[in-house]
Amino acid sequence: MIRSGSIFPLLLTVLGCSHLTAANMESGAPTVERLLSPAPDNSHLSRITSDEAGRVYLSWVTEEGAVARLMYSQLINDKWSEPATISQGSDWFINWADFPVLSVHAGNRVAHWPRRSGGDTYDYDVVARFYNGESQRWSEDTRVNTSGIEAEHGFVSMLPTGDESTLITWLDGRNTKQQPERGAMTLRAAEFDASGNNLREWELDRGVCDCCQTSSAMTAQGPVVVYRDRTVDEVRDTYIVRFTDDGWTEPQPVYRDGWQVAGCPVNGPAVAARNEAVAVAWFTAKGGSPTVQLAISSDSGETFSSPKPVAGPDTNGRLDAVILDNGEIVVSWIALADNGAKVMLSRFSADGAFVETVDMAGINPSRRSGFPVIDSIDNAVYLSWTDTAGPRRVRVARVTFE
Amino acid sequence: MTVRKKWLLPHSLLVIFLMQPGVRASEEAQENAVWRVVNYWSEWCSPCRKEIPMLNALSQALDASKVKVVGVNFDEDPREVTLRIADDLGIEFPILTREEIGNLNLRAPDVMPTTYILTPDNELAATLIGLQSREQMREQLSRLGLLPAKQ
Repeated sequence: MIRSGSIFPLLLTVLGCSHLTAANMESGAPTVERLLSPAPDNSHLSRITSDEAGRVYLSWVTEEGAVARLMYSQLINDKWSEPATISQGSDWFINWADFPVLSVHAGNRVAHWPRRSGGDTYDYDVVARFYNGESQRWSEDTRVNTSGIEAEHGFVSMLPTGDESTLITWLDGRNTKQQPERGAMTLRAAEFDASGNNLREWELDRGVCDCCQTSSAMTAQGPVVVYRDRTVDEVRDTYIVRFTDDGWTEPQPVYRDGWQVAGCPVNGPAVAARNEAVAVAWFTAKGGSPTVQLAISSDSGETFSSPKPVAGPDTNGRLDAVILDNGEIVVSWIALADNGAKVMLSRFSADGAFVETVDMAGINPSRRSGFPVIDSIDNAVYLSWTDTAGPRRVRVARVTFE
Repeated sequence: MTVRKKWLLPHSLLVIFLMQPGVRASEEAQENAVWRVVNYWSEWCSPCRKEIPMLNALSQALDASKVKVVGVNFDEDPREVTLRIADDLGIEFPILTREEIGNLNLRAPDVMPTTYILTPDNELAATLIGLQSREQMREQLSRLGLLPAKQ
């Protein structure tokens, strides 16, 4: 059990193990390798993640009839372990944009999936299981959203905050069932211990976009969460909240795009952090011009640089971001072409200077291919995406920047 | 285009739409080939669900005209799943097949819902991003000469 008040001891570990350097503009060509995937045919909705020791894990969902199964595997000496099942069910909400998350730290693991809650068609819960490294067992199902109101809950992000604690952030639709007037989607977070006990919980923003992913990262000053905001007049810019000594900050814009749209972009932002450095990438289409933007902070997310364009207008976003050990920033995004699309990785120096863009893989631009995801170990980036040419299947590649 | 079972529009909705000035498609539009109002929707998209009654009423009101309302399931589910979801959502206008969607040669929208208005030659005449009200839709159709301007 984690003591109240001992939140985020992982900070010390993060501070002690990484070194920021200026970008190496003279680096050689990156090495791109396609790794054998442990995921079978008919797999999709993958996540790739790593633990504090630099071990890589891949999760995915398979479907057989009405039964969905969440599985994962660990990469050991460039070989994937035998896939293991985390959970399965016939009442899951399977969706290309809102899909399971896996988090691993200090031998403990947390995974979630969306599960229909039995009310309206679009009512579903965030359900999680917690894996205890000592007992080597997964817990029973734990419902993360606790209001008891049947509504939409999802778009989860997870962040280890200590050896035995995880911050889970999600969109919580409890107020959307208010009568006579529908309330706004809220952003909530809670810290859970390794057994799945909710240690404490917060409402981070009481009016956010209903349909975009959230993202979280650990800075030198504490956790940050980024998400797409929603104002009463339908401005949907990227916002950040930070955990400080005084608790969570009020929501602040990373940048005021002023993208006003009465609809669902389904294109959430991504945040990565290393010490005081924070990188936020996001998609906007203000003025009908699709763009992927990148903003950088050197003070743990308190202030940000002006945004730098990563891609546009031939992009549909679906981005992710990491910071390498050398401080460089890598943003993944989808480039649209006349006859398909590609997953691209754009690399930037620690201060935001563009270095290069690497063409990683062809991808179907449709929703069936979902959202490509990346994570980094040292100066290598692991990419996972869904290949829909033939039977749908999760793929993995690695690019090493030397 | 595959036309699904046509449901009777609730009488009140039809009356509301037709009682608006200039709702009937213009004679000019009727003389031309078919224009299409292509609505991208998704089951999880709340504003999509919200505008479906308006689009149902529009589809019914334009039934005898050369302007057709059609739908696209943004999620690209298998056909039988798409039709089931459309039924659940109460969509009463035809839902395009994958092949028909491909023939539109449209870039998939960045925001849901998005409605495109296509000329008979498949040229993009208007892009309506986000939730549309009946008045906004009428205004766009009128601007394109597909409805008589408001009196």
